[in-house]
Amino acid sequence: MKFSKYVFDKWLEILFALFGYFIVLMMLFAFKISKEVIIGITVVFLLFFIMIILTGYIKRRRFYTNLINNVDKLDKKYLVLEMLNEPSFYDGKILYQVLYEINKSMNENVKDLEISLNDFKEYVELWIHEIKLPISSLVLMNHNHKTNVDKKYDEQIRRIDDYVDQILYFVRSENAEKDYLIKDTSLKKVINSVAMKNKNDLLERNISFEVELSDIKVLTDSKWLEFIVNQVVSNSMKYTKDNNSIIKISAVETSKQVDLIIYDNGIGIPEKDIKRVFEKTFTGENGRATSKSTGMGLYIVKKLCRKLGHKVRIESKEGEYTKVVISFAKNDFYKIGD
Amino acid sequence: MKTIMIVEDEKSIRDELKTLLETSGYKVILLERFDNTLEDILKSKFDLLLLDINLPKMNGETLLKEFRKQSNIPVIMVTSRVGETDEVLSMSYGADDYITKPYNPTILLLRISNIFKRMEKSTDFLTYDDIKVYQGKGILMKGEEILDLTKNEMIIFSYLLNNRSNIVTRDELMTELWNNEEYINENALTVNISRLRAKLESFGIENAIETRKGLGYKLL
Repeated sequence: MKFSKYVFDKWLEILFALFGYFIVLMMLFAFKISKEVIIGITVVFLLFFIMIILTGYIKRRRFYTNLINNVDKLDKKYLVLEMLNEPSFYDGKILYQVLYEINKSMNENVKDLEISLNDFKEYVELWIHEIKLPISSLVLMNHNHKTNVDKKYDEQIRRIDDYVDQILYFVRSENAEKDYLIKDTSLKKVINSVAMKNKNDLLERNISFEVELSDIKVLTDSKWLEFIVNQVVSNSMKYTKDNNSIIKISAVETSKQVDLIIYDNGIGIPEKDIKRVFEKTFTGENGRATSKSTGMGLYIVKKLCRKLGHKVRIESKEGEYTKVVISFAKNDFYKIGD
Repeated sequence: MKTIMIVEDEKSIRDELKTLLETSGYKVILLERFDNTLEDILKSKFDLLLLDINLPKMNGETLLKEFRKQSNIPVIMVTSRVGETDEVLSMSYGADDYITKPYNPTILLLRISNIFKRMEKSTDFLTYDDIKVYQGKGILMKGEEILDLTKNEMIIFSYLLNNRSNIVTRDELMTELWNNEEYINENALTVNISRLRAKLESFGIENAIETRKGLGYKLL
């Protein structure tokens, strides 16, 4: 808060004061008062006038400097009222009250949105739970009443199930709540679940699935990791070359971290696209070519990895290979009473 | 014959599960009403319980907890909820296994038979006529004679042996192999079976594995 600007802002008061002083001066002259008294009155008048301006300025300066500094410093600027005391001067009180009301109404608004978002999230979880029932029935029916196309049915049902899971994990990844559970998880077991899920598809399309894993354990949520690996493997299966397709899963363990490597010898990713594959709804050249891509899979993978504290990166050479590496940090912090 | 009790409130799944288990040689008891689920379960006689988590009135996890206070019969929890927490909770309440819907029916059957096998396992070998089959060591023994099998061959042979009177489909064998982390393809399966046949033949067991065209294999 600048003093010069404050004074400039008080031009009307200053004008009135000057005017008043001028009238008093005229009166003093009219009554032929001596010069000394006039000078004395002028000095006293001037002193009190400066004091009035100054006290007004100092009171406001304290409040407004505080306000401005706090707004600058705060990450969440709407919390600024929490940092301030109610000022002692009237216009400041009004501002303070108004800010308080604005804050309250915004909080209510945000709360409403939060509630409706949560309702939506709960509904999606519930809906997914419901939709899994008919999907399960279909799988069982298909198994019980064998026809000669049942493998094709199975494949389509698996695709439905994959897409349903994608919504589930999208909602989970967008939500601030923690609904995951980190514990010691065997990579072999997770890979086995993914393999079993995609077994028919892999066999049908003659993609060889090679796994070279020793008994490595990582700290993660096994269900989330299963989804992540399944997304990556689905991509590998989607973008194969015509023959001799290989998907190879291995892991490298160092003292600091474990890298899970999912490699395929598929069509690869063009160099101009590779930086953007983790972006939301980015499909790139490959996605547009097959038109089967939503651009959501890897985006969700990245978000889930970030939440779990894993790193994920992708390397590729167009026409040769794609390699996705998921890194798990080794952190004793999570190990409880092992 | 083993009896399995199904506690599942979704009728279509319940009925299909019944068909699946019955064709696989189990006796099935169904629960159709869920007013007194716990009492109904405790009254019934069975060897394994398939328990859904989302049930009317009392949820599966609570049921399991109460059931465990009175019985040690194996329980497999079945759910369409996808979450680590449910699984950890179920296991801590004493479930023997946990499967999420939609499950692969062959895998469900595998898990069930694994639980039964684990319960019966008093010896560390199976027998095939006068031959002892040591799965862990990967060998067959006839008297003093020993036949070495590779891991894949042993998986195939044990599976055929455990289902000796039935026809085993290629898909079942494949599922068993993949479930044991042997991710082989169709050609490799064919090669493994013919190699197994040749080995058995050299061991004096001739024409043990019969091929049923379009259906699968059968161990005689």
